[in-house]
Amino acid sequence: MRSLLVGLLFLLAACEQRTEISAAPAKPVDPRGRQLLLPEHGIYTGAYVNFGEQEDDVTLEKIEAFEELVGKHQAIIASSSYWGEQTFPAANLKLITRHGAVPLVFWSPWDRPYTEDRGPDKYSLTAILAGTHDAYIDRWADGARELGGPIFVSFGNEANGSWFPWSGTYYGGGNPIPGSDPPRFEGPEVFKRAWRYVVDRCRARGASNVQWVLHLMDYSTPNDVWNLAEQYYPGADYVDWLGFSLYGSQFPSDEGYPDFFSCFDWPYTELAQLDPNKPIMLCEWGVGEFPEVGDKGDWIRGAWKIMSQSDKYPRLKAAVFWHERWQNSASSGGADGENTDKYSDLRVNSSAGALRAYREGVASPFCIATPLFSEERPQPSAPPSR
Amino acid sequence: MVRFEKMDSLGRGRNQLSRGTYLKMSQSSFVFLDPGGRRWPLFRRVTLGLSVLLGLGFILFVASVWIRPAVRLPAVSRELRNRLKATRPIPTPDRKALDWQHYNPRAREGPERPPAASGKIVPPLRDPAVRLAFYPGEDANAARSLREHAHSLTHIAPDWLTVSGVESTVVAEPDVELAAFCREHALSVIPILRNLKGDVWQPEAVEELARADIGRQRAWAEMLSAKLREMGAAGVLLDFDELDPNLQAQFTTLFATLAEGLHSRGQELWLGVSMDDEFGTYDLEALAPAIDRFVGEFFDEHAEGDEPGPIASRPWIEGWLEVAADLGTPGQWVIVLGAQAYDWNVTRNRAEALSFRDAMSRASYAGADVAGEVEVAAPDYNGHFGYEESLGQHEVWFLDAVTMQNQLRAAARLGFHDFGVYRLGAEDPAIWAVLAQAGREPNDEFLRALGALPADETVTHVGRGEIVSADLSKDSGVRSLKVESDGQLSANYSDAPNFPVLFHQPSADEGKVTITFDDGPDPTWTPRVLDLLKARGLKAAFFVIGRNAEQYPKLVERIVAEGHEIGNHTYSHGNLAEMPEWRWRLELDSTERLIETITGYSTTLFRPPYNADSTPSDVAELAPLRFAEQELGYTIVLETIDPQDWARPGADAIVQRVKDQRSKGNIILLHDAGGDRAQTLAALPRLLDWLEERGDRVVPLSELLNIPRSDLMPRVSANEQSGWRNVAAIGFRSWHWLVEFFWSFMLLATGLVVLRSLLICWLALRQRHAQKRRKSVEMAPWPAVSVLIAAFNEERLIGRTLRAVLQSEYAGELEVVVVNDGSSDGTAAEVDLVGQSDARVRLLSQVNAGKSAALRRALDASRHEVVVFLDADTLFTATTIRKLAEELAEPAVTAVSGNARVGNRVNFVTRCQALEYICGFNLDRRAYTQWNCVTVVPGAVSAFRRAALVEAGGFSHDTLAEDTDITLTMHRLGHRVAYAPEAIAWTEAPETWRALGRQRVRWAFGTMQCLWKHRDLTFNPRFGALGFFALPSIWFFHILLVAITPLADAILLWSIAAGYAAALGKYFAIFLLLDLILAAVACALEGVPLRRALLILPMRFAYRWLLAWVVWKSLLRALRGALVGWGKMERTGTVRTA
Repeated sequence: MRSLLVGLLFLLAACEQRTEISAAPAKPVDPRGRQLLLPEHGIYTGAYVNFGEQEDDVTLEKIEAFEELVGKHQAIIASSSYWGEQTFPAANLKLITRHGAVPLVFWSPWDRPYTEDRGPDKYSLTAILAGTHDAYIDRWADGARELGGPIFVSFGNEANGSWFPWSGTYYGGGNPIPGSDPPRFEGPEVFKRAWRYVVDRCRARGASNVQWVLHLMDYSTPNDVWNLAEQYYPGADYVDWLGFSLYGSQFPSDEGYPDFFSCFDWPYTELAQLDPNKPIMLCEWGVGEFPEVGDKGDWIRGAWKIMSQSDKYPRLKAAVFWHERWQNSASSGGADGENTDKYSDLRVNSSAGALRAYREGVASPFCIATPLFSEERPQPSAPPSR
Repeated sequence: MVRFEKMDSLGRGRNQLSRGTYLKMSQSSFVFLDPGGRRWPLFRRVTLGLSVLLGLGFILFVASVWIRPAVRLPAVSRELRNRLKATRPIPTPDRKALDWQHYNPRAREGPERPPAASGKIVPPLRDPAVRLAFYPGEDANAARSLREHAHSLTHIAPDWLTVSGVESTVVAEPDVELAAFCREHALSVIPILRNLKGDVWQPEAVEELARADIGRQRAWAEMLSAKLREMGAAGVLLDFDELDPNLQAQFTTLFATLAEGLHSRGQELWLGVSMDDEFGTYDLEALAPAIDRFVGEFFDEHAEGDEPGPIASRPWIEGWLEVAADLGTPGQWVIVLGAQAYDWNVTRNRAEALSFRDAMSRASYAGADVAGEVEVAAPDYNGHFGYEESLGQHEVWFLDAVTMQNQLRAAARLGFHDFGVYRLGAEDPAIWAVLAQAGREPNDEFLRALGALPADETVTHVGRGEIVSADLSKDSGVRSLKVESDGQLSANYSDAPNFPVLFHQPSADEGKVTITFDDGPDPTWTPRVLDLLKARGLKAAFFVIGRNAEQYPKLVERIVAEGHEIGNHTYSHGNLAEMPEWRWRLELDSTERLIETITGYSTTLFRPPYNADSTPSDVAELAPLRFAEQELGYTIVLETIDPQDWARPGADAIVQRVKDQRSKGNIILLHDAGGDRAQTLAALPRLLDWLEERGDRVVPLSELLNIPRSDLMPRVSANEQSGWRNVAAIGFRSWHWLVEFFWSFMLLATGLVVLRSLLICWLALRQRHAQKRRKSVEMAPWPAVSVLIAAFNEERLIGRTLRAVLQSEYAGELEVVVVNDGSSDGTAAEVDLVGQSDARVRLLSQVNAGKSAALRRALDASRHEVVVFLDADTLFTATTIRKLAEELAEPAVTAVSGNARVGNRVNFVTRCQALEYICGFNLDRRAYTQWNCVTVVPGAVSAFRRAALVEAGGFSHDTLAEDTDITLTMHRLGHRVAYAPEAIAWTEAPETWRALGRQRVRWAFGTMQCLWKHRDLTFNPRFGALGFFALPSIWFFHILLVAITPLADAILLWSIAAGYAAALGKYFAIFLLLDLILAAVACALEGVPLRRALLILPMRFAYRWLLAWVVWKSLLRALRGALVGWGKMERTGTVRTA
């Protein structure tokens, strides 16, 4: 009995130690030709680290600064690839891979100037379905394949919202499809068709290393039956991970400070019902710093507590924190420009309390700092290893 | 110490031989004699010939270095300046011009609003009015400008303070020199506190504080106040950015608390207010009571992060001035006006902050002024022009003295008195005159003065990048001024001035990085760096110092062989700015020649040593760069990423600094020499990992510059200047071998001296041990002894000498034979006097015939079996004869040396000799006797068996050192030569340097003769220790090492002067230490006070030089082959027996 206790202490000590050094893994494994494993216990910890206006100015300096801030290496680093750039962000994703993290790419079909609430542009879902952008998709898929290691791809994120041009709401929204039973609706159907189209093309180019993440908003806008998550599910064959964005209060004008549980529990359950097995990812999570309505530190502490309830949320396998501060303009958030010139600070270090809560939470071995990979598979097409 | 074996001669000084006698005696066989007299002229001719050859070689070598190495192709297309071309400035809609309206309630009310504050008379808060200057620490021009214009200023705002992180940590980096300057010139220092870390704004640092409770705010205020006091600051200027206006009320409270804290300690709180969309961050009305000064930043309408546009357009600044005039207490504002410029590269979408002079140089080189496009005119009244170069289209906006005049006028009309300038070092030099006018309407004379644009020596920069090209030309310019109808001043730059310029060639690809190593090669670190690079398959550039390349040519070869690039870093790593032009050429050309001869490649790469390698800010630093480029055809390679690894800040810091600076440029500077580079070596792999992870490609310079390696380092073609190159090669190689030889010799000599010293000590101690254990010898009977003395004019001493002999406690029979060698004084009478009372004394007289002849006569006349020789000036002790005779108890011993000591220790010269006798001669003899290799039995006190003398054929006369000669002959006959340390005799040593010199030349010459005569003994196995130890010792330690003393000392002095004392000093230290140890041992053995051994230290420098002179003189005499004549030693009769 005593020896068991001693062993347990050692184990704990070992875990503790790993947390400390997890900020800098000695030498990341080469993920090429390997498969990402699902952690049996715990969640991959990740972040989006304010990569600028287009969310694609990925630099090692920013990643390292964030890791130093939170005291932990990141297993996932998120960034964007906007279709208007017509590129595959090879340099960004290679950098993230070299850093020993798995990239999460928001692959967003829209055009400059990348402003929300504008509706579809030349990269519309219908244009995609018409084959207008096949060459780009193929090029992108080639890039992804050549990268070799696992990539999370979130195509057309938050489609159940109303702000991005690929949302169902812009494609006929809740217009019922005649004769469908159970009833289906035009908007989500176009999205699903486009999703399958894109996934099929990429797979045809051999980009089997892509993990397709269906990335919705925690609560649909509008929150109607036609716009619920299940309407956007393109089928088990087309999705590897289910994911969602979760935000507490983001704007100074927001009333109240809803806690993490109320933002998390319902969307998790909703997604979990789409498929009995798929792992679930918190693709974006964050909250503003508004001490007059709520304590961000408490909110984050609550978040870690809930996310680590593995008996209750056993399929949550990854959580990606949204680390950004922005100044609101007349058009962003809130009505009547009452947020104008004011800031939304979703950064982990918006206050000492927030930073402390995040650091303490993420320090737990439950938050996994480095991706776990399968043994290398002999692949004829695999590029020579380093 | 290397000492000269005494080879006391039987024919010592005073026995003046007439030259004629001597010649007759020994002309035929005198060693070294060259009767034909041909050797000396031959030697002189050969020496002269060799000297001429050497001199010619040296001149040729210098010439080969001075003759331009092969003319090279311009490696880099260094035509940045030629590619500058004026373009029509692109007019941009000034979208921000009316932003201020948002903050001015009356502006919103409509156009009928009364002109704000105009006509309102506001008294200044302070007299004289505030004149504030922002002082950027990293700009050398700021310091220069401050020195010139300190009298025009009252306050300085340096960027000394930052606050960062959620802990609101304040970091202070004060500039001590600046603080002292301000104290001297009665300038108040108001350091700027920015919420900035690196280049990331830290809003949380201020917001967190604003949200904190009053206790924490007070504590923070106290901390800040303490820091200010430490820096000698009069207050602080808060310059915060990106704060959330949502926290406006909290900021008001925070600043009130802060003000309270500072005011209670007599410090002021100034608040920087940005005239832009952050204007609403603070509630200025509410803050007015707490804040001492609102520092309005009336510039940066368009700045680095914006699209191109005016920096402070007329509508913009006039509107904002009105906004300010409506807020706060009258006179509370310090109006800071811009005096700087921005250059937007619209193609690459990036901007750069410039000085006014930078802007002028750009306008001038692009020819924008000629195009008539450089204007300060309506509607914005800001300077503006455009130009293009290979990497894009540029728009430059600048503020000058004209904008300053207009803006001051506008501000003065609103009643503002207090002004500031942003930023020192970047301003149009004419603003100071404008500032003195404080916005009054200009008169004609003032306008004329303002129109002149004199050029000065300030260095300006065009472009960004590490590859540079300098142009020192400068040219004054002109702007024509016009007062518009509304009183605004406008200007046209018909001729922009140009200043000395450093053109920077940007690298096209920001993802490429080149690592450069300066100051090598170094035998310890360069190979490790090369190994590391090789293992990773990376190439770097090595800027070598000629001096090191010359020393380690193999490393230079290896650098090139492994595919790295070599650059020229001068020969001696001196500060070129402080050298004349001819030195620049010599420094560069000699290094170039060296690289060519070692590697077979030239290099076109040059990096200047010292500060000139990062940002040269001085014309003196620019001049050598221009020379290297224009005259010698080099590509000048500077660097931007400089982690200062040479200062050994720790590997972590080196890595961190590179990380921090990486985004600023593409060339990293490290060092592979000049000290312990372990930290650099430890940091290197981490750096490379990081760069790789970051996505950078580490490439050689050729790839960074996109120039083929063969252009950067052209192969030296075989027939081009091959003659000169060969000369240079031979020269460098010879010098190299010479230096190698020198160090090897130093090592060898040190090793041998150490070995010999240890051996001597060991042998001497063993001898002493054996002597102590030996029972006193009783012989029955004691052998009969004849004491032989040759006397020539010894009237004063002979009596004492004889009496000392006669008082000997000797049990055997004793006779004394004195031969008076034709003395002209009362010597004979003195001897007679003694002889009357003691029958053992016999006196023989002869006509002067020399000491040898006298002794021969004495020998013939004496009867006894044992013969003791004694100099007439030497005093025996009572037991001297007995101790000498004791050694003869052993049948094999045929000769015995006594222990001669200096009896007249009266001055430095004789004290030195006394010590030399003890620790040189006697210690050696004590040691040598252990191995039967005593080389000389001194004539002053010695004993021989008569039979052996006869066997040896008596004394020969073909050397000046009969005693050495006879001793070596004894060895040759297989006899044993013993030493009796207790057979002490007190002799008289020369008391002047001159006399000592004469004596020693005689000894040295005699010894050389004996060595030559008996040269077959050296390294002859039959003679064991004598042949392999004692005789070679004389050759090496007593002749060679002594001869090179002046050279060695000269090198030591030079090395001290040149700063290499450490390398050479240790050898000298070893020598000195050994001398001291030997002297101490000898003194201990002889029972002499140990402190006398200390004399060895001054002797090293005075005495040894004399010995060197002696050796050289003897050598030359030997070469000359002539007979040697010498003078008589002065006798003083001061010998004492204790």
